[in-house]
Amino acid sequence: MQKKNYYKLLMVFLFMPFAASAQITVTGTITDAATRTTLPGVSVMIKGSQSGSTSDENGKYSLANVNSNATLVFSYLGYVTFEAPATANLNVALREDRARLDEVIITGLATSLKRSNLANAVSTVSAQELVGTTNPQTVDAALSGKVPGANITSNSGAPGGGFSVRLRGVTSVNGNTQPLYVVDGVFIDNSDISPGLNAVTAAAGGGNPSNQDNATNRIADLNPDDIENIEILKGASAAAIYGALASSGVVIITTKKGVSGKTKVSFRQDFGQATLSKKLGIRSFTAATAAASYGPTGLALFNQAGGNVYNYENEMYGNKGFLTTSNISLSGGDDKTKFFVSGLYSDEEGIIRSTGYQKSSVRANIDHRISDRFNISITTNYINSATDRGLTNNDNAGVTFGVALSSTPSFINLYPNASGLYPNNPFAASNPLQTRDLSTNNEKVNRFIGGLTLNSFLQQNSKSVTKLVFRGGADYYNLKSTALFPRLLQFQSGGNGTDGASIQGNTNNLNLNVSAFVVNTLNAFNNKATFNTSAGTTLENFNQESILNIATILTGSQTNVSQAAALKAIQTQIPRKNRGLFFQEEINFDDKLILTGGLRLDKSSDNANVSEYQLFPKASAALNITNLGFWNFESISQLKLRAAYGESGNFPPFGSKFTELVQSNIGGSGGVLISTQQGNDNIRQERQKEFETGLDLAFLQGRVSFEGSYYQKSASNLIFANNVPTSSGFSTQIINGGTLRNRGLEFGLNIRAVETPNFRWSSNTTFWTNKSVVTRLDVPAFNLGGFGNTLGTFRIEQGKIATQIYGIDNGKVVALGNAEPKFQMNFNNDFTIYKNFTFAFQLHWKHKFDNINLTELLTDLGGTSPDFDGDDNGDGVSNAAERVGQLGVSARPFVQDAGYLRIREAGLYYNLPVNLLRSAFNNAVSGVKVGFSGNNLYTFTKYKSYDPEVSNFGGTGFSTGVEVTPFPQSRRLFFHLTVEL
Amino acid sequence: MKLRANIKIVAVAICTGLVLQFSSCKIEDTINPNNPSLEGALSNATVDDLNNLVVGTESSMRNGLGTYLDDVGVVGREIIRFSGSEPRFTSDLLGAGSAVLDNNSFYTTIPWAARYRSVKNANILLSSVENTSLPTEVQKQAYRGFANTIKAYQLLLTANLYNESGIRVEVADPANLGPVIKRVEALASIAALLQTGFTQLNAAGATFPFQLSSGFTGFNNPDGFKKVNRALAARVAVYRGQYAEALIFLNESFLSLPGDFNTGVYHVFSGATGDQLNPIFLPLNATGEVRVAQSSFLADALAAGSANDDRLAKIARRSSPASQSGLSGTHDLAIFKSNADPVSIIRNEELILIYAEAKIQTGPAGFSDAVTAINRIRQGHKLGAYSGPLTQVALINEMLTQRRNSLFMEGHRWIDMRRYNRLNQLPVDRAGDDVWVSFPLPFSENAG
Repeated sequence: MQKKNYYKLLMVFLFMPFAASAQITVTGTITDAATRTTLPGVSVMIKGSQSGSTSDENGKYSLANVNSNATLVFSYLGYVTFEAPATANLNVALREDRARLDEVIITGLATSLKRSNLANAVSTVSAQELVGTTNPQTVDAALSGKVPGANITSNSGAPGGGFSVRLRGVTSVNGNTQPLYVVDGVFIDNSDISPGLNAVTAAAGGGNPSNQDNATNRIADLNPDDIENIEILKGASAAAIYGALASSGVVIITTKKGVSGKTKVSFRQDFGQATLSKKLGIRSFTAATAAASYGPTGLALFNQAGGNVYNYENEMYGNKGFLTTSNISLSGGDDKTKFFVSGLYSDEEGIIRSTGYQKSSVRANIDHRISDRFNISITTNYINSATDRGLTNNDNAGVTFGVALSSTPSFINLYPNASGLYPNNPFAASNPLQTRDLSTNNEKVNRFIGGLTLNSFLQQNSKSVTKLVFRGGADYYNLKSTALFPRLLQFQSGGNGTDGASIQGNTNNLNLNVSAFVVNTLNAFNNKATFNTSAGTTLENFNQESILNIATILTGSQTNVSQAAALKAIQTQIPRKNRGLFFQEEINFDDKLILTGGLRLDKSSDNANVSEYQLFPKASAALNITNLGFWNFESISQLKLRAAYGESGNFPPFGSKFTELVQSNIGGSGGVLISTQQGNDNIRQERQKEFETGLDLAFLQGRVSFEGSYYQKSASNLIFANNVPTSSGFSTQIINGGTLRNRGLEFGLNIRAVETPNFRWSSNTTFWTNKSVVTRLDVPAFNLGGFGNTLGTFRIEQGKIATQIYGIDNGKVVALGNAEPKFQMNFNNDFTIYKNFTFAFQLHWKHKFDNINLTELLTDLGGTSPDFDGDDNGDGVSNAAERVGQLGVSARPFVQDAGYLRIREAGLYYNLPVNLLRSAFNNAVSGVKVGFSGNNLYTFTKYKSYDPEVSNFGGTGFSTGVEVTPFPQSRRLFFHLTVEL
Repeated sequence: MKLRANIKIVAVAICTGLVLQFSSCKIEDTINPNNPSLEGALSNATVDDLNNLVVGTESSMRNGLGTYLDDVGVVGREIIRFSGSEPRFTSDLLGAGSAVLDNNSFYTTIPWAARYRSVKNANILLSSVENTSLPTEVQKQAYRGFANTIKAYQLLLTANLYNESGIRVEVADPANLGPVIKRVEALASIAALLQTGFTQLNAAGATFPFQLSSGFTGFNNPDGFKKVNRALAARVAVYRGQYAEALIFLNESFLSLPGDFNTGVYHVFSGATGDQLNPIFLPLNATGEVRVAQSSFLADALAAGSANDDRLAKIARRSSPASQSGLSGTHDLAIFKSNADPVSIIRNEELILIYAEAKIQTGPAGFSDAVTAINRIRQGHKLGAYSGPLTQVALINEMLTQRRNSLFMEGHRWIDMRRYNRLNQLPVDRAGDDVWVSFPLPFSENAG
């Protein structure tokens, strides 16, 4: 074909839509098929073109200049898309899409598919599911239990969150195990940045930042109310197109967009209270037990107390935290420009006094159609947040609240005297009340997330549309951490500690991602087949730089780091650059057979060889048996078989390739010392291969739908910090050396059990299970992420469960437990009663998994366990003595079943009748909703501590489920008021 | 035709993408932005580079020192270590009930890794010296003599702790570590390494090209450092039972019978940037984190009528006893007054006692010299002259008692009682507690 001819042809394509004849105007009303209420905001499009309209607040629409033989497509989120030939008066009733067959799922970097054509089990969490029942602490908290295949664990109950999210099992030992978060196309940072508390807690020894500081992970900055929906790509078979960033899955967050028509204003106010979700109680003392546990000194102090009992559990964790969230959003626009603007202010107090979380967030999302050729959408979000998290978790200096309380009996008075001076705690290194009241552990974040997408239609006609998509995103934040421990604290005075500490950190993080794609949709063979071709290039530059200043020997009560006699600074720079190329082809044969193939090429500055491309392929097929000609069972509306395969990678941790010399000074001279990590010149990406297959069924017009999936994913060239013989001078080397396999099942059952005008009940039950096995290990078994064999630790061992917990037991080192649940189930129910009452609750069951509970050990040793003097097994030896007797003999007492059944969320709402509102407010108010809800309402568990969801080591790596005196979880109760204009 | 047009558009776009990828989007291989690289230090190192390694090596000798001294002090029943958050000081280290030492817990892994990290740094210094032409040959000998002496000292501490479990001596090549050798062979290798260092220091001229900390004041040149080397060699010699040799080494060391007991070399501490604080220091009457003296230190001294012994000032009565896990203590460890106090490496008082020991062990001819040395110690600490029998057995008992008091919590008691097969004489606080002979070889050493 000649070039000239080609351009002529292109011109023909471009102007074909305008060359049509007989134009009519179509009008009508759109209603809900079940409730007969009108539906505003429904999109009405002329099939095969970019022109259309939306229904107004009364469900009416009007569309001029429609070709008389055109087809109109009516689509509305949550409803089954409906197509009809254009006629002058066209009223449409849309059916609710409970099976979500029509939901549009993002399947590539710039392409999407209807759920009914999808070959992967992509979980979607809608705004209603996310925040509809209650006010979640953070976005990741809101996902808990709602995503089959995910194991979401809260690290502690501290305000501001802190979560570990694992999709389809652990995927890496030392590489990243947290999913990639993409918000409107922006790759956002989800680091948890240590405030450097180690300088006073010595939790990890030395003065380095540690992962035991209970830091917030930065996804907490997002406002859950801004989110339209969240899609979770759980493994490589769905996420291969994200290449080496995707091996732990991808969480795609789409924020709300404006809808053209009347401007909608929605205001929501929540008031609530956080309280300790479970009390453990305190040990009550007699003169004899005080003497037995604390010797003559203890007895003297017990007698001195004169029978006074100080309940430090109530004092420390008994604060009734006031919670308030105000959220306002405006959305609207016209045919050309649509906007969504929102503002959030939330202020949450923790259950420990002086802890809390404040967040302000402003968002503006604008979509603008420049012409038929170009449209642009811009998302912007500014967040300002501040967190006070107290001092909890492990330490080796006796200074965190919990460690200090573990050895503080209830007969000692730690309260300040009349002049405000706190007594020294004779039973611990610190007075926890003093530490709580006088020290600071604050993080302040200023963050901007902005994204831009420009679509240019290079060519469009009824057969083919080609567009060029340019997308850019930036996520910048500054985090300032301030940890102040003044000189007058017990553990900082009188020669203890460092004579005051002011630890101030400053982190700047900038994630930039830019991509360009060409997407072509071609309807061929008489519209019997659609080819969706996309290709593009991506660029990501991530840059994180932290400076931590640790000032000690403070001058008086000064906190400025320059007012100190000793100052240590730690600077960490983590620059990473990734480049990628991808190509993807989706072929849809008349919604019968859908085939997808894709390739991704990646290179990264983190690989030992920075210019070598890694290739990640994917392929999938979905067969809609119900759409094949022979199908004539009316009752089954969907039967789909699907299979997908994909590969992705995982970058080695930053710096794996370097053997470094680190600073080690003495006597004022600068020295260098070999680092404990040996560099690896050959370090490569981890390779994950996932195969997934499944069956989707829908019966009775979608009233019952079922989804079942089986997957196997294996990560080879597993990246981990190999323990090298420390006589080499090194402790670890990051190597590639093993294969980790996850196999699992996921089932979902959706039932609209009752559908009458006055009572509706729908229920969604999911079940999932996963098993991780180390199928190959090139080095001998090694431990990671605990406190050694005596207290229980994780162990990576060939042929064994990857999440097994190991420990000593009567002279042998044996497997004592497994940190991964046997299965999880989630049970969501929604009821609508008399149209205006809605009730919803969520039950989440995590069956049989083990934690390493070292809190109980510390309270046993400190003589404060509530059941210290009891004798549960009646053998004449008290509980505590029995457990302590096992120390050094067996780690079994510390490895405890943490399985639970939790009433995670429940909410009851009442919508004021619309007619009443109309007459009362003269049409100014279109909706008022009031309600009560609760979060973490009750937990059934045998686990012997505050909460089975806990992690001393934060969310990274393997080590969730190790408990050392955490910030306990809280129960949150809310009153809600929503007003819509 | 339309299909082909589409393919063409897509193809053009892909080509554009490829061009973008391969031209403007090249990734440069970055250097480590955070720290200097090992490779840099290993080739053509300047004197400054080498001196940084010297300082780093000296500094690193303090890493894990707190754990080492706690290990030796607790197992040797000098102190009891209480910790609000670390139960294993009172369970595993004391062998409570059926508890045993674990090969992968902090008390085993930290001292081993820390000492070998210093050894590694010394080995890096040694290979850097071979791969540079910038220092003179005399200067090179100074670096080598320093490195080998420090290496030997670090290996000696390792041998003390792991004893019959063995240690590795040849560890320069991480991919090819030498065998684990048992105590006797290990001490022989350490002695040989000290000899090598001594020879090198002999050829190192009059001054060091590097500066050591104030902990080495008076020994901060080849001549002074040689005396440190010989002092350590004397310690190793008595550990090996080579008493005649020990006397020869003592002659070349800084032994001075009339001299200050505290003359010697030390680890120094400060709060300056990148520096460390004394890891053993705890204030008096601390709660939570506590080091109390095992009760027999005071009781035995009082029973022997040594109430005047000024070494009893190494402990101080607490305002109230500290207790935990069926153990208690009335006296705090008080050898350090602040977190910047130095910790000894080797000092004259030990050399005097090594002299006494060597004289006792080389036969009756030396007994009177031994008594002179013992009396120097006794009278230096406000006690009367030795009045016991002049038999080898009695003198050994006396020498061990003086070593116990003079070198309290300096890392000797357990090793001394072990080499005289007297671990069964160490006091045991709770029924069923054990006195360990060796720490287990760390788990990581089995990792191939």
